[in-house]
Amino acid sequence: MKREEAEQYLYCAMSIGEQLLISGAEVSRVEDTIRRICTAYGAKRVDVFSITSCIITTIYGEDFDFCTQTRRISATSHDLSKLDALNALSRRICLEKPDPALIKEKIEEIQNGPRYSFKTQLLIYALVSASFSMFFGGNARDMIASAIIGVLLKFLELFIKRGSVNNFITALICSTAGGFLSNLSVMIGLGQHADLINIGNIMLLIPGIAFTNSIRDLFSGDIISGLTRFIESITLAMVIALGFTLGNFIL
Amino acid sequence: MQDFIQLTAATVGSAAFAAFFNIRGRKLIYATLGGFLSWAVYLALFHFTANSYLSGFISSAIVTIYAECMARLHKTPATVFLVSAAIPLFPGSNLYWAMNCLMLKDWEGFSAQGTHTLLFATCMSAGILLTTIIFQNIWHYLQKLQEHI
Repeated sequence: MKREEAEQYLYCAMSIGEQLLISGAEVSRVEDTIRRICTAYGAKRVDVFSITSCIITTIYGEDFDFCTQTRRISATSHDLSKLDALNALSRRICLEKPDPALIKEKIEEIQNGPRYSFKTQLLIYALVSASFSMFFGGNARDMIASAIIGVLLKFLELFIKRGSVNNFITALICSTAGGFLSNLSVMIGLGQHADLINIGNIMLLIPGIAFTNSIRDLFSGDIISGLTRFIESITLAMVIALGFTLGNFIL
Repeated sequence: MQDFIQLTAATVGSAAFAAFFNIRGRKLIYATLGGFLSWAVYLALFHFTANSYLSGFISSAIVTIYAECMARLHKTPATVFLVSAAIPLFPGSNLYWAMNCLMLKDWEGFSAQGTHTLLFATCMSAGILLTTIIFQNIWHYLQKLQEHI
């Protein structure tokens, strides 16, 4: 294998790793996937190091010598369907060893993969908030208020994410607005318990994947990533809860 | 009756949560089943032991076993099933009450709710962890055994 070829294959492996990390995989899975793909194409030695925001890989083979690439990951958008498809793709690559052009095509295909339509997404937001407000003890009126606020929060989130602001600020603005709206809904007589409406809406913003992944990372030996993600998700959860209670004080 | 309503809400909630993360098709059904399982186990255990920490621990452990089995069956990462299945156990309401107490300067309430949130989250993580570690070790052992045969 020539050096240019090796670089191409490594580029593909890194792309898969990058997409895995973005869609919500654990760090150990990312490292393992890149290692397996490179080994499958005949690298003698593969050293992968990944944290939540960066992947570095160096491969070595007798005919192409050392080859290193780095990826910086700046934003995550959790998508478990993509994670599943990428995982299947990496299995297939290790078995069939296709050429880089085909792999790039497949990655492109996965990136443009099916997503729920905007209307369905609104329905999902409404369902999440409504069912969790019910779950924590709300009545039918709280449920309806919570569902409406959930939909409004989706619009707000879309609006804020257009101008790229930091994650924590987005969460703080969304949750404060949620707290404000829930109190408003109680004032106009739609909902009954502002707190229970809030609790339903909290679940929309809570960093569920980050929290579960951080625990899995932490104890599979990736201490750095585990700790970063753990602190990040705990802080985010506290910011969100704080935002909702802050909303109570505005009204 | 209250339990029944909660169970329904938990099931619908975890289905919606799975869809929130773009899980589709048959995997959506299995992810939802996980959410149902986690809360059903929690309620049953809480009924007998009246200890929310123990119930949370065992329930999350059982759900992790479920998620790992499903992951092996469908050849997909366990995260796909675990996240939505574990979401009813997440102490979201306690976290909210803790922060609410903090804003009202109710220090006693804050420490009580905050401690409960932290302890429950710890128990939950311990349940997930313990089973993940045991399960993965057993899995590796079985694979090695297969290679020898």
